[in-house]
Amino acid sequence: MSESTRLTAWRLGIIFGALLLVETAVRGGWISTFFLAAPTRAVIVLWQQLVHGNALLLTGITLFEIASCLAIATVFGVLAGFFLWRYKLIGTSYEMPLAALFSSPIILAYPIFLVTFGRTSAAVIALSSIFGLIPIIMNTKGAFQNVNPILLQVGASMNLSRQQLFRHILIPAVAPTIFSGFRLALTYILKSVLGLEYVAQVGGVGMWLSDASYKFEIEEVYAGLFGTISLSILFLYLINRCEHWFRK
Amino acid sequence: MAHAQPNPSALAAKIHTPFGVQALTLLGLVAIWEFIGRSGLLFPELFPSIGEILQSLWIYVTTPVMLPHLKASLYEVGGAIAIAALSGIPLGILWGSKRSWLEIVEPLILYAAVVPKIVIFPVFILFLGIDVHSKLAVGAIAAFFPISLLTIAGMREVKKVYVDVARTIGASPVQIAKNVYLPAIAGQVFTGIRIGLGAAVTGALLAETKIAKAGLGFMIVEYYGQFRIADMYSLLLFIFILASLANWAMKSLFGVLSPVSRQSGDAGMYF
Repeated sequence: MSESTRLTAWRLGIIFGALLLVETAVRGGWISTFFLAAPTRAVIVLWQQLVHGNALLLTGITLFEIASCLAIATVFGVLAGFFLWRYKLIGTSYEMPLAALFSSPIILAYPIFLVTFGRTSAAVIALSSIFGLIPIIMNTKGAFQNVNPILLQVGASMNLSRQQLFRHILIPAVAPTIFSGFRLALTYILKSVLGLEYVAQVGGVGMWLSDASYKFEIEEVYAGLFGTISLSILFLYLINRCEHWFRK
Repeated sequence: MAHAQPNPSALAAKIHTPFGVQALTLLGLVAIWEFIGRSGLLFPELFPSIGEILQSLWIYVTTPVMLPHLKASLYEVGGAIAIAALSGIPLGILWGSKRSWLEIVEPLILYAAVVPKIVIFPVFILFLGIDVHSKLAVGAIAAFFPISLLTIAGMREVKKVYVDVARTIGASPVQIAKNVYLPAIAGQVFTGIRIGLGAAVTGALLAETKIAKAGLGFMIVEYYGQFRIADMYSLLLFIFILASLANWAMKSLFGVLSPVSRQSGDAGMYF
């Protein structure tokens, strides 16, 4: 057995061991079903919702929100990052306020977005885009800042035009760092979208979880939670695979 | 008496600094805000005058109107950070002390860290009710991840040779933990606690906005429900100022306590 298979087996063992413990505790009556649903029941309810209910549609809404946020954050983030690098004084001036804004609990300002955009997906997209925007701006600016000047000198010595320099030297040099920014942005957007959907009770999967908890449908709460966690983990896994592929 | 004439080039030089640009941006934003609010160009209710917001903020600072809510939120955040530190640091040390454990556990923690912690809130409501303890639990789980992950990162930085030297001179496991591991990981642990504090504030207050009886997050939603927009803005400002002050105080305190300065991280990742 290879080392990586052994590690995966251990990890799966821990996860399924914990789920088995919960299953036994619930089925054995040690924990009331009023508080906790058996994992198998939660999976069955999730499956039923996917096949017969509207879980698939809600997942689609969540994915649409995430994709919209990423598109907005990418377009404005890369442009702003490039601008902040190009104009050094402005770049230096805005670096600290941007970092401060990013580490402040801006998600608490969601009622402002609900007032502005109404209780719709637009409010989720508008606020979550900010979470994606800032890492892309910072990474884009950092990427351009850290381009090895020797590369540019080599380009200049080969009489490359400005467009050629940009296309053949700058873009390949900055792409990996900007991609790291996308990865970070996507992680923040995912968390923000799911969190806001749940708190503001709008949109997709998060709203389903919120609805279920208000209706006190315990099995559905755990099914929604299971779906949300699975979606988060699947996303991170795909991001990691993409990054791995991109770096190769 | 001769009046000092403003020197245009000196003024331009002052503006041509990062501070000048920041001040100018702030002034510009205030002017745009006031213009939109007064002209009625775009939802005037959404743009109350800056004076009104500051007046409301002044009331929060000088009167006990927010005290019960502040107490509830401080209890939740304080409790959350205490639980997260008391569980995250020992577990981080335990996981980080053996390479084989770390290889198994670390990816699981990294994947779990990405899940928005607020979605576990319904489970905490079921077990702990809608009082402060369910918010405290959300804050604790949000703060647990940065603290444990940075403790693990600290453990990874401990050079094996230090542990070997301690062993060869006959130090006991407790002595090794106290005299080798703890001083070496202190910087990372402090950074973890500081980031954890931000995560706990966000987690607990966000949970308060969902279902609560008291707390600063609860008041934000109350004001939103009553459409008291100026009060809502000033409360948000109040929370941001408090969070920044707490972050700054922790940074200063840990800067004195920790022998090595560490890079700061952000809290958003972990809420």
